[in-house]
Amino acid sequence: MDNEEKSGFGRRELLKLSVLAGTVAAGAGLLRPQPAFAQAGELSLKGKRIGISTAGTDHFFDLQAYNAQIEEVKRLGGEPIAVDAGRNDGKLVAQLQTLIAQKPDAIVQLLGTLTVIDPWLKKARDAGIPVLTIDVGSTNSLNNSTSDNWGIGKDLALQLVSDIGGEGNIVVFNGFYGVTPCAIRYDQLVNVVKYFPKVKIIQPELRDVIPNTVQDAFTQITAILNKYPEKGSIKAVWSAWDIPQLGATQALTAAGRTEIKTYGVDGSPEVLQLVADPSSPAAADVAQQPAELGRVAIQNVARLLAGETLPRETYIPAILANKANVKEVSKKLGIG
Amino acid sequence: MSVDVSFTPTLGAENAAPQSRRRSWGGQAAAIALRGGSFVAFAAILLYFSLAAPFFFTLGNIGNVLGQSAILGVLAIGLTVVIIAGGSNVVTGGIDLSVAANMGFSAAVYASVIQLGYGDGPAVLASLSTGALIGAVNAFAVVVVGVVPLLATLAVMNVVAGLELVLTQNTVVPATTDFLSFLSAAGPFGLPVLAYGLLAFTAVATAVVQFTPTGLRLYATGEFPDAARAAGLPVRRLIAGSFLASGVCAGLAGILSVSYLSGSTTGAGDMLLPVVVTALLGTVFSRRLVPTITGTLLSALLVGFLVNGFQLMNISSTLVNGVQGLLIILVVSATTLLRRQEA
Repeated sequence: MDNEEKSGFGRRELLKLSVLAGTVAAGAGLLRPQPAFAQAGELSLKGKRIGISTAGTDHFFDLQAYNAQIEEVKRLGGEPIAVDAGRNDGKLVAQLQTLIAQKPDAIVQLLGTLTVIDPWLKKARDAGIPVLTIDVGSTNSLNNSTSDNWGIGKDLALQLVSDIGGEGNIVVFNGFYGVTPCAIRYDQLVNVVKYFPKVKIIQPELRDVIPNTVQDAFTQITAILNKYPEKGSIKAVWSAWDIPQLGATQALTAAGRTEIKTYGVDGSPEVLQLVADPSSPAAADVAQQPAELGRVAIQNVARLLAGETLPRETYIPAILANKANVKEVSKKLGIG
Repeated sequence: MSVDVSFTPTLGAENAAPQSRRRSWGGQAAAIALRGGSFVAFAAILLYFSLAAPFFFTLGNIGNVLGQSAILGVLAIGLTVVIIAGGSNVVTGGIDLSVAANMGFSAAVYASVIQLGYGDGPAVLASLSTGALIGAVNAFAVVVVGVVPLLATLAVMNVVAGLELVLTQNTVVPATTDFLSFLSAAGPFGLPVLAYGLLAFTAVATAVVQFTPTGLRLYATGEFPDAARAAGLPVRRLIAGSFLASGVCAGLAGILSVSYLSGSTTGAGDMLLPVVVTALLGTVFSRRLVPTITGTLLSALLVGFLVNGFQLMNISSTLVNGVQGLLIILVVSATTLLRRQEA
């Protein structure tokens, strides 16, 4: 009895211990994200001056990212020094130059032609100012916040393949394979299609152009519809961004071939509107989250100034908007 | 000037007699305000920014502003020469609307020559010759064919902008060479080399335009063309020369622009209105309210300091456009009042 009790106690003790251990482990598991959360709450830019420079604010994307950065710096208690170059490279450089001389605690550069801004980002770094970027892959930037283009490409391709039931001909615009994000999205499409042998990319692929993207896509799609006149011979049109998609959608509507679906990327408000229209051929558009990009970039600044090491790139997930969820997505993006 | 005189009586007659006293008083006030006031205003702006933004009045910042104003300054000085020789009537006088496009194209030529593998020597030569050639076309259209400068240079502007598109396909043409890096780097006392460049260029231009007989003849040609012709001045050659000079200035500005932006970029045409504004505004920084080289330099720096001071004080730079517009309205109305009084 004594023994038994002892042993029982021992067993119970063991059980207790193991339960305790389990609880601790589980607690730790629960708690582990907690410190990160607490830290995110503790992020502060109090007393810091953050330079925010943008190539322009004339597109939906830039304006959202720019304003979100300013708001976030203020929210974290810092002072934003925000300059907008209005798509003028001379102004952009002059503003960066003055910004460097102002010696802020960090500079965040949003967009801009790499060859133009890179020498000045280097000068900022030489002057001891940390430089972060949004959508600019510069070696002089400590961290670049950008959308996950692999995810974008995969999501769009899977949506397309599932919409067309895993078989049929698709028309592809592939005019900007030289632009890295476009190349990644295209490669992901090819990767997905590889496992659906009944899906065929119509050759030759189309070349989208800048400028006159919409008109040109309209003309090219109209031409290819004449080449494939019977319904069902084309199932979908894919493009790496949504401005060719806009032209393609208009061409399909004009030709009465609304059974063909169109796919693109960027979440331009006018295309999201088409996705929301039940009778429009626009089936899906992957929207980037410009405001989130801006906020994350500023949070990264706060982390960096708090002594953390930043990853080379921070990926912001993009949201796929299709006929079913486009209303919510638009709301989340602050459109309409 | 002759056109102004013919305008004035009509305008004067429209206004009733009882108001004429007040007008002349207003004119006098405007004259005084403009002649002395512009300098006082400039000093006041500098003083205000110095107090409001402590960093403003440092050698480094002033150097930055000088450097940032170099491209605008060189272009506006080129335009000033044309205005001096052609007269300052905005519609019928001397004007060169092609300067900005010329600068963009010269920059594109420079960057392309570098891309083709040639050195800085040939690139500088190509850029300056491009500028000069465009100036020569302007001179031909105005002096030989007799088209009004406003229209002639407007047409040339479009042609040149088109040529730039053809050459660059509307893309950025990067260019980095030792010479370009030298130009965009800091020189003695940590001031940008472009700042020294602007000061040196202004010194040379001032010497030629304000202190040589040629300069005096340019003024004579612009203000009193008939008298100048009667006195036996080569009026046509002087006007042609002014367009050529403006073209060369644009070529030079193109080189500065390539160094500043590490290549040739699109959108040079956006520079046109700031250049015209700078050159027109420059007249307030002269004793007799005429275009001068130093006046144009001061006007370029005023705009540069405003933009800089606004950024240092964390005020949106878009407000600078408003301030600039306000200044122009003030200047134009004051000079108009003044002219009326003189007539």
